[in-house]
Amino acid sequence: MGKDLIQKSLKDSLFTGIIALALFGPIVGLRTVAKNEVLVVEPKWLVVLLIVIFCAVGRFFINIYTFKKEQRRGEASSFGKAISHFLDEKGSQIAIGAIAFSIIFPFMPFADRYWMDIAIMMMTYIMLGWGLNIVIGLAGLLDLGYVAFYAVGAYSYALFAIHFGWSFWICLPIAGLFAGMFGILLGFPVLRLRGDYLAIVTLAFGEMIRILLLNWYELTKGPDGLTGIPRPSFFGLPFKRYPDEGVETFHTFFGLEYDPMQRIIFLYYLILILALITNAFTIKIRRLPVGRAWEALREDEIACKSLGVNPRNTKLTAFAVGAMFGGFAGSFFATRQAFISPESFTFIESAIIVAIVVLGGMGSQTGVVLSTIFLIGLIEVFRDFESYRMIAFGGAMVLIMVFRPKGILAKRKPTITMGKHG
Amino acid sequence: MEYFLQQLINGLTLGSVYGLIAIGYTMVYGIIGMINFAHGDIFMVGAFVALIAFILFALTSIALPIILILVLLIAMVFTACYGWTVEKLAYKPLRKSFRLAPLISALGMSIVLQNYVQAAQGARIKTLQPVIQGGFNFFKESDFVVTLSYLQIFIVLVTIVLMAVFTLLITRTALGRAQRACEQDRTMTALMGINVDRTISMTFIIGSSLASVAGVMFVMYYGVIDFYIGFLAGIKAFTAAVLGGIGSIPGAMLGGLLIGLIETFWSGYISIEYKDIAAFTTLVIVLIFFPTGFLGKPDIEKV
Amino acid sequence: MSNTLLDVQNLTMKFGGLVAIDDLSFSAKKDHITSIIGPNGAGKTTVFNCLTGFYKATAGSMYLNKDNNQMDLKKFSDFKVAQKAGVARTFQNIRLFPQMSVLENMMVAQHNKLMVASGFSILGLLNSRSYLQKEKEATEISKYWLDIIGLTNRADDNAGDLPYGDQRKLEIVRAMCIEPHLLCLDEPAAGLNAKESAELNKLLKFIKNDKKTGILLIEHDMSVVMGISDHVVVLNYGKKIFEGTAAETKNSPEVIEAYLGTED
Repeated sequence: MGKDLIQKSLKDSLFTGIIALALFGPIVGLRTVAKNEVLVVEPKWLVVLLIVIFCAVGRFFINIYTFKKEQRRGEASSFGKAISHFLDEKGSQIAIGAIAFSIIFPFMPFADRYWMDIAIMMMTYIMLGWGLNIVIGLAGLLDLGYVAFYAVGAYSYALFAIHFGWSFWICLPIAGLFAGMFGILLGFPVLRLRGDYLAIVTLAFGEMIRILLLNWYELTKGPDGLTGIPRPSFFGLPFKRYPDEGVETFHTFFGLEYDPMQRIIFLYYLILILALITNAFTIKIRRLPVGRAWEALREDEIACKSLGVNPRNTKLTAFAVGAMFGGFAGSFFATRQAFISPESFTFIESAIIVAIVVLGGMGSQTGVVLSTIFLIGLIEVFRDFESYRMIAFGGAMVLIMVFRPKGILAKRKPTITMGKHG
Repeated sequence: MEYFLQQLINGLTLGSVYGLIAIGYTMVYGIIGMINFAHGDIFMVGAFVALIAFILFALTSIALPIILILVLLIAMVFTACYGWTVEKLAYKPLRKSFRLAPLISALGMSIVLQNYVQAAQGARIKTLQPVIQGGFNFFKESDFVVTLSYLQIFIVLVTIVLMAVFTLLITRTALGRAQRACEQDRTMTALMGINVDRTISMTFIIGSSLASVAGVMFVMYYGVIDFYIGFLAGIKAFTAAVLGGIGSIPGAMLGGLLIGLIETFWSGYISIEYKDIAAFTTLVIVLIFFPTGFLGKPDIEKV
Repeated sequence: MSNTLLDVQNLTMKFGGLVAIDDLSFSAKKDHITSIIGPNGAGKTTVFNCLTGFYKATAGSMYLNKDNNQMDLKKFSDFKVAQKAGVARTFQNIRLFPQMSVLENMMVAQHNKLMVASGFSILGLLNSRSYLQKEKEATEISKYWLDIIGLTNRADDNAGDLPYGDQRKLEIVRAMCIEPHLLCLDEPAAGLNAKESAELNKLLKFIKNDKKTGILLIEHDMSVVMGISDHVVVLNYGKKIFEGTAAETKNSPEVIEAYLGTED
């Protein structure tokens, strides 16, 4: 029995080694480099050898382990189950703790510029995730072009702020409305398409918007991007060390020393508030008839029709509301960066946001937070390794789907209970 | 007129490339009902394998026709391994899962492949010296000389041969029969004693090797590739598959030719900056007004 | 004729060359359970799909008498048939929202009413009292129906976790939540055991007698059909071959021939 197992595993790992050699041999082992304008091949056999050995040995141990597991089934995955059970049950406590933590976060001793930047970036993704969660998680519409609305929000914010000099709090709702309108415009013709067709059409729309931004030079300055987007001010008080003559600034008004961190902390709270509004809105609207209809549509569109629910309008609201929050997040992005270009709105951004939503668990608000921390954290950890970090990111997407296809938080809470009313 | 003819020739060549990629989409969609998001990147891997092979063979003194055949074979074999692996890692474990899961894992696979090739081969564009040069020139006395290069003839010929071979494979062999059976009802097919896993694997292998042939042609035709070419080519080929009617192999080829023509005519007559918009617009229009495509089966909603 | 609830004349449905329904005319009365029976593939479900707007009939007319208003059902497409004309239906293979709770299923069925009450979500977002009141009423209605089928204690469980028979019943009362004039049931007794079948008969009689809702029924289970039908329409190959009371149907030679074939 034991000998048989070893023999089988050895055979299998040999096969794995051969496949690995075929996979990595040419692409990794024969690196093409330009020498004097001519491509030559530079062999890297040692790396290939290491990878192949790693794959084969890894496969061998996985085999031994899984075969053993089959012998003592039952106790095997109890640890994984315990974790998922804990996550499913304690979702709301985790949420409250997380909100409390995020409020005091800027005053933590370790919260320097680096950590604050990461926190702001994560919070932006959390907000985008929550916005897209309405579209994908609740309404079940796989939107692969969400970044388009992010871009529309950012560009409309930037254009209004630059050309009309309007303040953040005026431009923000306008940008959101613009993005929402775009959502309706794009959604109107395509929302009756089936799941993956919808996915590919939204992807195409996302790319079309980007190409438009790249080529409509008069309006968007094309690849050069828009510069000089006004920074947000604290109710009219700018964050500047040397303000213009006669203008009161944030630090003079409150009698503080000037510190560039003040602006960063303000931006952090700004995105925190925007994100929490998104969250509160989603939690609330999920319990309204339209939210219930979104989820019902995700479950069974035909049944919805038989009950008189208008699928097109219902989907359109989900699309528009999701787009609007994308637009809000885009405005924030524009004002934070003070510079935007089409480069920030590529397909990979859409893919990251979709991954955040799906890996978090469809429709789970807390799940979005957990998967953002995990995925963006992963990208951040591998920051210095350029393309390796995206390999890790993509790999994580595959692994989480394979081992937990319903996402990190899979359990859904009903939007209304009999206990409450009856 | 001469200009038109030139665009037509270029469009048909480009269309052959798209058509070959589209077959992979259509076959996988037919058998597991899902868009293989990583397929465009498989094509890109094929182009890279071809590039490497061409560079290596350029150092030898093997005759050109033999090099071409060898490169095609090498690209097909190695790229097929990628297709097989993608299926095993990202699709097989999720076959019974809810419908978004495999889409996400395939998306993850696509990101992995792109960045893996970027890491292994570098982010800069790669240029290949022309492999086949020369061609026929027509209308030499007019202002615009129409060129039909040998390379274009080669591309179209290879495409036609492959199409014929694979059509035979699908319609005449046991494997093709098994594939068509799996499309209809996988459980029933398994009960008939057909190895469904292997059939699905074979579908990915065939689709990937066709995509790799498209990759070989792409690298020869344009002479420039980078790790990102799979994304756009993938979307265009998918459009082709839908246009022809998803699930139909002749449809994929037809759709590929149409997309190739639309793209070349658009860039030839309207705007080269917005040439990708042409493909995307076609995709959107086709999906909205014409979702069954030319040769697809009508999709009656079962209630 | 004012008692006629549904009047179908010369209904024809073609899929390409295939004629699924061929020049079918029949009517259903307000206080009746009208059954449509026939062998598999006779076109019964297609009739339903035409009536409820899922298919667009090739020819013919369908009128619903809604409070003495003649409504042309051909004018409405899918969801509008339920929303505007008040025709509810169930499905041959149950279509609940499996990941949503039983109560949520009932609430979705009251969607249009609640949408208006929530001011198309605006009042709802503002926590308006009038909306909360309407939501409570809707919950009461759901409870009323759940009490009838004995599922109130499972109201907060996922609909997909219910046993098969309960899912069937839930689908019927969910359809009743839209307060329909006509309820179309597609094989409600399929897969039920004898006890559940009897309970179903009781429920349908209750809907007919107490709720004054006309029922159109597709059924294979003859004990159900014979037990509760006031009127039976028999289809074969898309054509009506017989129409009459349950007792008449049982003895009709045409019907026996359609089911059992002819003796040579």
